[in-house]
Amino acid sequence: MSTPRKPDDELERLLADDGGELGALYRRLPRMEPPRRLDRNVLNEAARAIHGRPPRRQRWLVGLGSAAGIVLAAGVAWHVGQDALQQPGYERARNAPTYVPVQPIDPSARRKQTNAPASADAVSPHPAPTAAPAAPAAPIEYQHSRSAQIVDRLKKETTARSPPPLPPPSIATPPPPPAPARQSDPFFSAENADSAASAAGAAKAEAKGDLAGSAAREKESAAGTDASAARAEKPARSATGPAPTTSAELRRDMQLAPQDWLAHIQQLLRQGRRQQAIESLQLFRRAHPDWQLSDDLRALSD
Amino acid sequence: MLAYAGGDLLAFEMLYRRHRGLLYRFLLRNLRQRADADELFQETWSRLIAARERYRPEAKFSTWLLQIAHNLMVDRFRRQRPQASAEETETVLRNLDAPESEQPERALSEFEQRRRLQLALEELPEEQRVAFLLRIESGLGLDEIGEITGAGRETVKSRLRYALARIRARLAT
Repeated sequence: MSTPRKPDDELERLLADDGGELGALYRRLPRMEPPRRLDRNVLNEAARAIHGRPPRRQRWLVGLGSAAGIVLAAGVAWHVGQDALQQPGYERARNAPTYVPVQPIDPSARRKQTNAPASADAVSPHPAPTAAPAAPAAPIEYQHSRSAQIVDRLKKETTARSPPPLPPPSIATPPPPPAPARQSDPFFSAENADSAASAAGAAKAEAKGDLAGSAAREKESAAGTDASAARAEKPARSATGPAPTTSAELRRDMQLAPQDWLAHIQQLLRQGRRQQAIESLQLFRRAHPDWQLSDDLRALSD
Repeated sequence: MLAYAGGDLLAFEMLYRRHRGLLYRFLLRNLRQRADADELFQETWSRLIAARERYRPEAKFSTWLLQIAHNLMVDRFRRQRPQASAEETETVLRNLDAPESEQPERALSEFEQRRRLQLALEELPEEQRVAFLLRIESGLGLDEIGEITGAGRETVKSRLRYALARIRARLAT
């Protein structure tokens, strides 16, 4: 009769150095080895960990470093841009108005300038660019011819309308700026030339507005009715029509007595200065709205 | 391992050559699928490489390596845990008390014994198989097995006893 196998005895044999009979049997089992590809993968990974890229868990450091680099580059670029903006050359170039050099309108002044270009340069607050001094020659001629044409046209119109020269009244339109000041600036722009030409018309319109205002005030003081004010608007609107005569002439007409003023209008008609007669008559009707006009003058004013 | 952590790649290659078979067989006998064993083999070494800075010489390298592999296996087993049935357990317990003259394995050929041992290992519950393989394959003692598996000494002994009983039962059938 055999004795039962003791588990502790088997365990003792298993824990022995040789593992007992089960250990011997186990060692006779096939001893599998990892495939070569696993060896290569593991050894390559170990080499990369030492020499190559950082481990996976440190990749956030790469991202953080990249973000910091981008922020640094943006900051440097911003500072460089600020420095460029603060440089005096850039400020001067940015704030400098765009001048188009043109020749003076007055031929005499042009002659003066051609005789003394150095002094003009010395007076000019904006010296001409030295990089291309001869290049703007063609634009100068173009601008000069254009502005000269405008001014000449205005002069012709004024001459055609204006009566024979009279002594200027004290409230006349202020004279244009002194010619030498403009002649000394060789960079008077064509735009300024145009604005100068239009400024003459604007001054006339302003003077006529003043006349309309004063006439209306006189009429209000004379009649004191709203209807007269409504009538006063009509000549004011019509002032935007044909080119009026000079304000000096109109103001001079206002100083005449009503009979003399009407006689002067009749004289203008006889002289063929119909436009000037119409304007003067309109002003007369605003100044004297209750005056009974003759039929021909009433037809002229309507 | 300290040399490798300091940048000596040859030191790592020596460690790898020494332990690669042991680890691979440990994984293959536990997982039984070569693809799974390959995957966890590479993953074990990857974890070890990544954690090279944390290695302390107080622990045996093989213990540390097998502990990493064991943890990975536990995660795998938790997803596909095999359970021994009550009938299998009863058979094991009956064979424990069988007389030695009635143990059938004596009559088997050596080839048949090796085949049955393989089957017995595959059929062992996870914890018993791990303890048995750590002992029989890696030559670890009770304390080292307990360190790797996180179990106490007596628990390891108990697992080894049950493993032996099941293997005996498998060899007898």
